[in-house]
Formats: sequence, C-alpha cells, structure tokens
Amino acid sequence: MTKTVVSIKDLKYRYRGQPRNALDNINLDLEEGDFLVVMGPSEAGKSTLAATINGLVPHFFKGTIKGDVIVLDKNTREFSVAEMAKEVGMVFQDFEAQLFSTNVELEVAFGPENFGVDRQEIAHRIEENLKLVGLENLKNRPPSTLSGGQKQKLAIASVLAMQPRVLVMDEPTTDLDPISKYGVFKIADELRNREDLTLIVVEHETEEAINAGKILLINEGAPLMYGPAGEILRNVELMETHGVMPLGITLYFSRMGSKYLPLTVEDGLETFKKNKWQISDLSYQKLVEKDKEHLQEHQEPLIICKGLEHTYPNGCQALRGVDLQINRGEIVAIIGQNGSGKTTLVKHFNGLFMPTKGEISINNKPTSEQGVFELGKQVGYVFQNPDHQIFSDTVFDEVAYSLKLRNADEELIKERVAEALEAVGLVGFEKEDPFSLTKSGRQRVAVASVMAAKPEVLILDEPTTGLDYAEQRSMMELVKRLNESGSTIIFVTHHMWVVAEYAERVYVVKDGLIMLEGTPREVYAHEEELTKAFLRPPHLVSLSNRLGKTMLNVEEFMACTSKDGEEY
Amino acid sequence: MDQEIYLDRNTFFHRLDPRTKILILVVAFVVILYFDNPLWVLPLSLLIILHGFFAKSLINLKRISFILVILTISSMVLWSFFANGEKPLFWVIELEAFEFAIARTLIMLSLVTEGMIFLSTTRTEEFVLGMIRLGLPYRVGFAISTAFRMVPTIVSNVFIIAQAQRSRGLDLDSGNLIERIRKYIPLLIPVFVSTIRNTNVFGMALEAKGFGAQNDRTFYYSSEFNKNDYIVIAFLIILFAVATYLKINGYGTIPGLTKF
Repeated sequence: MTKTVVSIKDLKYRYRGQPRNALDNINLDLEEGDFLVVMGPSEAGKSTLAATINGLVPHFFKGTIKGDVIVLDKNTREFSVAEMAKEVGMVFQDFEAQLFSTNVELEVAFGPENFGVDRQEIAHRIEENLKLVGLENLKNRPPSTLSGGQKQKLAIASVLAMQPRVLVMDEPTTDLDPISKYGVFKIADELRNREDLTLIVVEHETEEAINAGKILLINEGAPLMYGPAGEILRNVELMETHGVMPLGITLYFSRMGSKYLPLTVEDGLETFKKNKWQISDLSYQKLVEKDKEHLQEHQEPLIICKGLEHTYPNGCQALRGVDLQINRGEIVAIIGQNGSGKTTLVKHFNGLFMPTKGEISINNKPTSEQGVFELGKQVGYVFQNPDHQIFSDTVFDEVAYSLKLRNADEELIKERVAEALEAVGLVGFEKEDPFSLTKSGRQRVAVASVMAAKPEVLILDEPTTGLDYAEQRSMMELVKRLNESGSTIIFVTHHMWVVAEYAERVYVVKDGLIMLEGTPREVYAHEEELTKAFLRPPHLVSLSNRLGKTMLNVEEFMACTSKDGEEY
Repeated sequence: MDQEIYLDRNTFFHRLDPRTKILILVVAFVVILYFDNPLWVLPLSLLIILHGFFAKSLINLKRISFILVILTISSMVLWSFFANGEKPLFWVIELEAFEFAIARTLIMLSLVTEGMIFLSTTRTEEFVLGMIRLGLPYRVGFAISTAFRMVPTIVSNVFIIAQAQRSRGLDLDSGNLIERIRKYIPLLIPVFVSTIRNTNVFGMALEAKGFGAQNDRTFYYSSEFNKNDYIVIAFLIILFAVATYLKINGYGTIPGLTKF
C-alpha cells in the first residue's frame, strides 16, 4: 500500500490585513512518488499553497490559518520551518536570493551541515546531487559566476542534499530562457521517477506541466479542478477562462473539433495524420504575403548599428560586432539565452551604454553625440523589474515624474498622465500607492510612466516575465496598440509565444552576435539553430514545422487546415 | 560581474587554519602601528608585501588601485600639515612632519594590503568557522558573512536603478556636489524596496534549508592546526615580542616630532 505523504484538510489562510482568503478550502492528498503541478493565474494562492507545505505559512508569514497541513504525520503548526526542512525541501523562483555560499560545493553542503550530518556523508551527497543536476565539474566555482539556469540547478541540488521526502518548487523556471527551463524540468522528470520523493511544482507555463501526474488548478485561493494531468490539460476552456494558457496544440485540435485531443508534438503529428487533415498551400501563401506587406510598410531606418561592440570595464566582451537596423513603426523582438547580450544591446538604444567599438546611430545621429538625457526624450526604456524604477508615493506622481523633470506645464502633465493611465487600464488608481499594487499593476505603472513622455521609440525589457497568461496578453495588446498609434517598439523576451504572436521582426542574439534575423515565421523555421541559441519555438509552431510549414498561432493554423479527408 | 574578492588558489597561506589567518591579521595590525619612523615601518611593510606575494593575492590590489592612490595623496598632505617638527623643509612643512607623513601613509597602505590579502586567502565560511572556534556563536558569525555577501548585490542594484532613472530623464551627472548628492536621494527608495523584497526570500530560503534546526552543526570545511600553523604562530609571537620590546624601549620614533 502506498503511503499518504502530504495531506491538506479544509485549509483556509488569510494574510493579515487582507480582505479575502489567500487559500480557501483546499483539500489534497498526495501519496509517495506523486508529481503534482499547481497552476492558476497571478494572486491565485499558488505560492501561498507551496509555502504551507514546509510551514512557512503559518510560521514565517503573518495571518490566520484554519484547517491542517500534515506532512509525514507532522502537523506543520507544531513544527518550525527548520524542523520541517528535514522532510520538505523548497526551491524558490528567485535564484539569486536562495544561494548563500562562496562556492558550489559549500552551497550543497549548507543544508546537511545544519542537520549535523557527518563530513564524509556530506561529501558523498555533494558528489551525488551535483552529478544529478549536471554541475559536477563546477564544484569550486562561486555561485555568482553561474548562469541563471545553472544557479537554479544548484538550488535544486542543494535542497536534494538534505534528502527530503517532499520537494516543493515555486515557479522554478520563470526567469529562465527556454532551454534552461527545459533543463530544470528534465531534472524534475528524473526526480518523478524516484518513488521515495513526492514532487510539487508551482508553474504557469503549461508546456512544462505535460509530464505531471496530477494538476491542481486554483483561482482566488479556491480549488477549481484537481485531477490527472491529461484530463485537466484537455479542458482548454476551463484553463482559458481562468487566465491559464492552454496548450497550443490541444487548443488547435479542440477548436478544429477533433475527437481526440493530443498534448505533445509527436501525439499531435499522429492525430493530424489519422484525421487525414491537410495544410492548404494557398492559405499558407496568403500568410507569407501578409508578412511581406507588413515589412514593406516600414522602410524608414531609425536605429542603425554597424559592427557594434561592447566590452565591460572588467574585460568581459558582451557584444562582438552587431549589425542591425530597426525601422520606424516596427515592432521588433530580441531573443536569446540568459546572458547572451540582449540587455546590453538594447541599453545602447537609449544611450545608457556607448559602444566601445563600432557605431550606433538613431535618427541619423550617433548616440554618442546625443547622450542619455537627450535620447531619453525620444527613446523610452521600461526596465525588467518595475521595483527598480518606482519610487513615488502615488501612481499619479510616478507617471508624471518624467514630464516634471523635463519641466512640462501642469495642464500638459495632467492630460498626458490621464492618457497613459487610460492606455494601461489604471484609471481610478491615481492616488494609490504604487507599491501596494500587484506585480502586474506595478509593471503597468512603469510602462505608463515611460509612455507619458510620448517617446518615439519604446524599449521593453522582458515586459511579460512574472505575469500570468491573461496579464501577458493584456500587456502585449497594450504594446500593440501603442505600436499602431505610431511608436516603434523593441522588446526583449524569453516568451516564445509572445514573439510568435506580436513581433513583426526578430533578432536572435547569441554570444554577443546576431545569429538569426527575420520575421517570426522565418526565424522559427530554423529550429535546430534556435536550439543552439538555447531557444525553442512553442510546441504548436514545432508541430507546424514538422508538417513542413511554419504557423505562428492557433488562428493561422486553423486557417491553413483543410478537413477534406475523413475524420476519425 | 566579478564580485568575489576571495581567490581560489592553493598556496601555503591559503592552506592555513582560519584562526592562524586571523592571528596574522591582528598581529600585523597591532605591530605596524607601533612605529612613527618610516625606516622602522618599512621592514614591516615589506613583510606584508612578501605575505601577499607568496599568497598570490597582490593582483587584487589592482581592483582598489584608485582608492590606494586617493589614500596616498590625502594621507601625505594631511599628515604633513597636521604634524609639526623643528627643521623646516619647504613652505610650512617640516622635515619631521614629512617623515611622519611617509610613515603614516606606509602604515595605511600596509593595513589595506594586509586586509585585502586576508580576504583573498580566506573564504567567508572559513572566517566564520575561525571566529566560531575562537568562541563566537554561529548565528553571529553567519550574520557577519551575510552582511559581506549582501554588499555586491546592493551595489549592482544601485547601478541598475541609477540607469533606470537616467533613462527617465533624471540628470545625475551635472550640478555641483551637493546638487548631485540630492539627486541620488530618490534612488534610495527603490534600493531599499528591492533589497527588502530580496531579504524576504533570503530569510525563507534560509529557514527552508534548516538553518538553526539544531544546535550542533557540522562544518564541511573543517580544519585543524598543523605543523605550518605552528610555525607561523611561533613566528608571529617572536615578531610581536621583539616589536613590543623595541617599542617600550623607545625605538622607532622621530626625534623632534609633535603630533596632534
């Protein structure tokens, strides 16, 4: 008989000072070896639920708890987090803040040291767990020199070294590039096969949840649906209505009215063939034509880089000769692995960085002649983390800040702020404290504050990271509207579907060079090269590639499918 | 990018027990402050340079070369003015004061160098272990090492935040010193907010790894005194005894010097 490892009974939790319960009536039983993925929109209570398993709720956070969480016969109310740590390991989203030590080996040793494990046994565990995550050759490296993906793998190894019976991972891949994401999930997959370990992963990227055993979908703290992964993933409508991105492939087959709904690329290919569907060349040709038309609309060069190089003072060469041209009115995506030089590149576009070699000109003038202060009027830059730029007491002041610095008059400021808040959907929040808003709210404030100055060019560094599917959509719809009203948009992202649906042109950056350039359709057709740049197109696009054409979203796919053949 | 001061090398000095490394630091700091005469300070400074050379750590001085230059200039100027002597050298500066300024500058540079060598040869974990062996509670030791660890994170945050504000039109580069300092004040808010948000996760991660779960804790990098430690300690004791004897007997001063 299998043993119940985690048992949650009628759990309710409310943070101090909050109007509603963060968790409402959660009931859950997990047996040894289970793999549960918890999904849901932002603020659904996913992270709070994860934090109940090792007792961070109720011991670390302040609030009131009702009901019980019992892990291996220990009620979390009666044991401290540190005591629970023996049974429950936890990996967090923020890979910087969870590493404490000066080298990789010591990082893994930290947990076992706390429990007084003897030194020989620690050495053995270091060996074993670093091997598991593939970092065995980096034992003496300081964690700060590792890439994002490696840091997250190290965090996992350091938790596994405590030999927990339950492993909880709270959005472990949110900040990672697609291949690093895949790497982390491959580790999770290996762990899934270990029968003595129960795995709980909070995730909002659906493609990573395919291998889960069970999925729990929650919204506003309450459970919506709980069951085997396949069943939940095939319920595309339920997922969409609750702000969770459904699998592109499953959505396509569901909309096309297929009886069987596949989840994976292989499965999709087989079903497509079994259904005897065809791809219509004519409809596909129309898509390609449309791409061309779009490109022809924007021909006036705005930003030109020639042989752009950037070397940091410490000798690290981040850009090694970039040539690119961005035209007025375009919407351009810049993609690449963590640390490939994307952010360094776009920081040249508003003069924050100057080239150490080569040229960059904006509006036919080198940036070095304009400087960040002048360029700032034409080029707005929204930073990745809104908390790095927000500091006013009210939303109004925050959005008006740039204009005030540039001595705009009262009336104009009021008008522009109202416009910007309208565009980001924050009308009525003028007097709120920006820090009290959600991540998505703060991101909107950040965008509004840059928009209010009406720059010709808007640069967004990872505008969709940390947002849920519905928020990502509405953020990108906002960006699209701005583009349609005349702004040139450049955005950096790890979200491949965002590129597929919103970009007109893509630059792929690898090791400080442009590796691929073209429309999303052209770029995503090169799957092998993308893999080398640590990128993967969305599953739906992969499926279309396997069928010989590159289609970027469900609508395109549907428009190109002909169902003449017999349906099975 | 490269925020670590510690240099992962395998030298005689890297292999010493952390307690010995701490003792070297303490003795160097005490003994060098005994003397006012640059000729007496010089041999001690040379010893420190030798220490750095054999510990392959002098390379780290490059990172703080700017600070060293500023320190040298300001110390030379200050001590030349603030000390008095009998034999005029030039303008209002006397020979004795000038000599004293050289000694003070040498001392200052030596202290910085020795400190840098210590950080280059000692991991934070070793330092904490050394302190604990000397009687410090683990939690206090860990707090110290965390403070060290937070500095680079905060510094890199400040850089990003300054960039964010500059791209919004905040002109941080013009104006006089006071105006510029005033412009930096609004930057502190995001610095604090992001640091506090960070610390929260840090605290959770710490507890989730069983920090303080039980009182007896293993140290993976344990170390015991060995022959080399005893040799170094013996040398330090002799150095300390001789230097103290000389100091008490009035050696190493500059006759005719009056200090403030």
